[in-house]
Amino acid sequence: MALHQALSARWFWYSILCVLCWGAWALLSKLGSREIPPQTMQFLFTLGTLPVGIALLVARRLKLEKSAKGISYAILNGVLSGVGGLALFAAYHTNGNTSLITAATALYPMITVVLAILILRERLTFLQVIGLASAGFAIVIFSL
Amino acid sequence: MHLPPWFYFAAVTLVAWGIVGLLQKLSTNHISAESSLIWLVVGFLLLEPLFYPGQEGLHYSAWNLAWALLSGTLNALGAWALFAAMKSGGKASVVSPLTALYPLPVVVAVPFLLHESITLLQLVGIICALVAVLLLSS
Repeated sequence: MALHQALSARWFWYSILCVLCWGAWALLSKLGSREIPPQTMQFLFTLGTLPVGIALLVARRLKLEKSAKGISYAILNGVLSGVGGLALFAAYHTNGNTSLITAATALYPMITVVLAILILRERLTFLQVIGLASAGFAIVIFSL
Repeated sequence: MHLPPWFYFAAVTLVAWGIVGLLQKLSTNHISAESSLIWLVVGFLLLEPLFYPGQEGLHYSAWNLAWALLSGTLNALGAWALFAAMKSGGKASVVSPLTALYPLPVVVAVPFLLHESITLLQLVGIICALVAVLLLSS
C-alpha cells in the first residue's frame, strides 16, 4: 500500500529523476575526464549549469530574497562545490575505478553529520552512528 | 600504506562537499532552495577565471566537450528535481536518503558502458557506502 502510494506520488518521480540525473552526471564526468583535464572539466561543467540557473531565475521573475547571510552561504556553497567538483574530475582523470570513486565521494554526508554535531550542536541518532561506522568500513575497503 | 592516487582527490571532494552539506542547511534557513541553487551557480562562476582553458579548450573532441557541458546541466537539473520532490510533498527524511542513492545507477551501468570491473570485496565496500549514505541522510 505504502509502495503503491509512493509510486503514484509526484515527489517519488522527482526523486527518481534526481537519482538518474546525478547518476548520468557522474558517468558523463568520467567520460569527459578521460581526455579533458580537471580544470577545463570544471570550467565546462559550470557553463553547463548556467541554463538551469537562468531558467530558475526566469521562473522566479528575477525576484530573489535579499538575505545577505543566506546569499553568502549559498555563494560559498558554489565555491566549495566547485573545489569538490574539481577534485572529483581529478579523481576520474587518474583512471581509477569509476564505481569506487563515485561511491567514495557520495559519502560526503558523513562529514556533514560530524560538522553538524560540532558546529550546530545537533545530536547523533542511532541510525547515524551505524551509518558512520558503515562509511568508515567502506573507506577502509576502498583504501585497500 | 599505499593508497590509490584517486583516493587523495576523493578525500578533498568528500571534505569540500561535506562542508557544502552544512552550508546548504544554513543558507536555506535564510533563503529558498531555488534561490540557493541560483547563488550556488554564481559561486561556480566566481571560480571560472581560474579554470579558463583559453585556446586549449578547443582541442578536445566534440563528444568529450559535450559530456562535460551536459554533466553540469544534469547536475543542476538533479538538484532542481530534489527541491521539486521536497516541494511536492516528499518528506526530507525519505527524499534525502532516496536521492543519495545516485551511485547505484553508476555501479550498474559502468560494467556495460566503461567495461570496468570490481572485486567482491570492493562490491561489499560499495554496498557499505550506499547503506551509510542511506542512514546518514535519513
